[in-house]
Amino acid sequence: MIGHMTASTIPDQPDLARMRRDRHARLQKGMSDHGVDAMILIGNANVCYAGGASWPYGDSGRANIERPVAVVVSGDEHPHLYTPFREDAAAQLDLPEDHLHGPVYLDFDEGVEAFGRLLTELVPHKATVAVDDVTGAMARNRDRLFSSWPPPGVEPIIGHARLLKTPDELACTRKASKITAAAMAEVQKALVPGVRQTQLTARFLRHIFDLGAEANILDPIWQVMPDRREDLPWTTHGDVPCPLLTTERQLAAGDVLWVDTAVSYAGYHSDFGRTWIVGQDPSPRQEAQYQKWKAINDAVLAEVRPGVNAARLTAAARNLCDGESPWMPHFYLSHGIGVETAEMPFIGTDLGEEFDESIVLAPGMIIIIEPIIWDEGAGGYRSENIYSVTEDGWILVSDDYPYDPYGN
Amino acid sequence: MTPMATDVLPDEKPLRYGRRARAFTAMEEHDLDVLVLGRGANVRYVCGARGLWNAGTHGFAPVCAVVRSTRQVYLLSTWDEGIPEEIPHEHMLGITWNPMNYLTWLRDIEGSATAGRVGFDSISPLFAQLLPAAFPAAEIVDGEDAIQAARLVKTPEEVVAIRGSLSIVEQALASALSDLRPGVEERALTGVFMEAMASLGVTTPSTQDVVTITSSRDRTAPKGQEAVRAGDLVAFTAGVLDGGYAGEVARTWPVGGGDEIAKYRDAFDEWDELWSHLIQACRPGASGGDFFAAYRAANVAVPSLPIVRGVGLGYDLPIVVADLPATAAGQRVASGMTLAVTGIVDSPHGRVIAQEVVLVTDGEPEILTTSPFWTHQFQGAKRQ
Repeated sequence: MIGHMTASTIPDQPDLARMRRDRHARLQKGMSDHGVDAMILIGNANVCYAGGASWPYGDSGRANIERPVAVVVSGDEHPHLYTPFREDAAAQLDLPEDHLHGPVYLDFDEGVEAFGRLLTELVPHKATVAVDDVTGAMARNRDRLFSSWPPPGVEPIIGHARLLKTPDELACTRKASKITAAAMAEVQKALVPGVRQTQLTARFLRHIFDLGAEANILDPIWQVMPDRREDLPWTTHGDVPCPLLTTERQLAAGDVLWVDTAVSYAGYHSDFGRTWIVGQDPSPRQEAQYQKWKAINDAVLAEVRPGVNAARLTAAARNLCDGESPWMPHFYLSHGIGVETAEMPFIGTDLGEEFDESIVLAPGMIIIIEPIIWDEGAGGYRSENIYSVTEDGWILVSDDYPYDPYGN
Repeated sequence: MTPMATDVLPDEKPLRYGRRARAFTAMEEHDLDVLVLGRGANVRYVCGARGLWNAGTHGFAPVCAVVRSTRQVYLLSTWDEGIPEEIPHEHMLGITWNPMNYLTWLRDIEGSATAGRVGFDSISPLFAQLLPAAFPAAEIVDGEDAIQAARLVKTPEEVVAIRGSLSIVEQALASALSDLRPGVEERALTGVFMEAMASLGVTTPSTQDVVTITSSRDRTAPKGQEAVRAGDLVAFTAGVLDGGYAGEVARTWPVGGGDEIAKYRDAFDEWDELWSHLIQACRPGASGGDFFAAYRAANVAVPSLPIVRGVGLGYDLPIVVADLPATAAGQRVASGMTLAVTGIVDSPHGRVIAQEVVLVTDGEPEILTTSPFWTHQFQGAKRQ
């Protein structure tokens, strides 16, 4: 499906119409393979993927109510999109008029009843209708939407489709990454003793919109890492906590920051991670942490190619750490990214070795590698980069952002 | 100015306990023994802890459980920074990728084994299949109704929080307005708004769809990239979340001066007329339908967007929107509600949209938003 992909085949500009067609074709195949007649999609990321529209996401409180909804019917050439942003969607999409609708309100009985009537025009009675999430009102009125309870989930279809990216999807992720990197370069210039964490956020937000981001996706993280574990909060597993939230804390010379930000472009997210030091160069010991991080990153990367099972990646990382896992137990060594900041494949989670062995790398799969180095008494180091599996190895999708002040 | 917040702290105790008391009352009224919550605003309402903000909807996972008989709260959190003292470490589940861990966590909660009715605020097919096993004796029902009922009327501490949030959004809006001039792109103004918001100590918006040119003319660029021209009408629909509470305001401003914007005066006058009717419906006992009636009385077409919604931790009831007439008719305005009330006037020259947040009281409604209107300068004094 991906065809031959090399570094040069990630286009500079994504062809959004082609991207939508490719995604729709995958969903249709998945529905046919799984015997699903229709999918109701209400989660923003799934609606973006299947419905084709993208928009600046709001806070979840508001996004839960004023949300676009997509319905994909098996055999239909186009998805149906129900959206409060109908004019924006009309300008953005090539949907036929009878597939682009006004909003539906699935948090209310009246809204679900109306939606149920619309659904009967699209799919026959007793059809197999899968769904990603179910609101309270949908659960109360389940008989209007589903022929069985619980209804089938969409994960085998849309999760599978989203796992391997088309070149246009990779181009969107790259665009989002470039916007993020350019904004972060401006933020890093402002990293001086006395600056507040929220001021770094202010600068970041200003620049991402100027640079063409659709939206900010994550409340930016500027976590100050102390030298010793005991100076961090308690955790369920005893290991290091991250990400801790941003406040108006004033940064001091020598503070080590674990930085994490994400924005969206055409619905696709970036994920930026670096370690910075406020107003100082790293000590030799801190520099060694970075070198260790880089050695692990490179060792993992050396395993990335089609056909490899993901447990080889975690093994490569552990080999350099006396068998210990150089990542946080509540996260992973690697994750994918697309219309969500963290999506499949997850590698190194608490799902365990067997789960990792079941993941086989394939072209178009995205692997973000984010080991962490904790060096008790001298803090730690973390960075992350976005890579994509190619026919014969990997390519860097995110921006080649410098590791300053490390690595010089 | 509020003092600088340099630590991650739980919500203040009176706020937490006041909300939780309302949640337990709602559980009693809805006959729920356990409430399992996945939606961020619901979780914050009963837990009083700030979570990591991610834009957009999140797929369901059980993040919090509340047990009526023991009055205990259980929370998904890997660390205890900012977690209230009444949620002990033993009540916390660290972030996990294995759905079975959620099942074990919920099953082992004191009260799960004997619970007769368990409510969920939303659910996914996977968890609908898995989680009933955590409550072997229970009927699984919708719990969103109950938590929405709790959130409907604000505690006094919540009103204070909303006032604080409105102060942030209105200052940030003023910053964005000061950059409104011909040549500036919509998205650049959004950036100015966001920068001002974060500079005031709040890093989370409630909406990122902030600036739209609404004058009746052809657009030449994709959304966000259209440049403002002299003679344009520009709508700002802004919102922030401070301490989780939404502060929201909308205003529309013309750009330029003299004859090129004089044509908008009629639409703004119509808005004032519309508002004089809308504010009359912000009284205890009024129904959602009275807001439709206000539009009709002002001879303004009811727009497709919601014209009333509750503001609190995100998005509350009541909601009044043209597509849900029966829902609107079935809702009653009550003292202690905070309503975002929106007036929208479509004129041949463009759209005027403005939104106020109104506190319903037993006496006169109190308009909490104070941002200026373009037309104030012609009226010599602030409206009303």
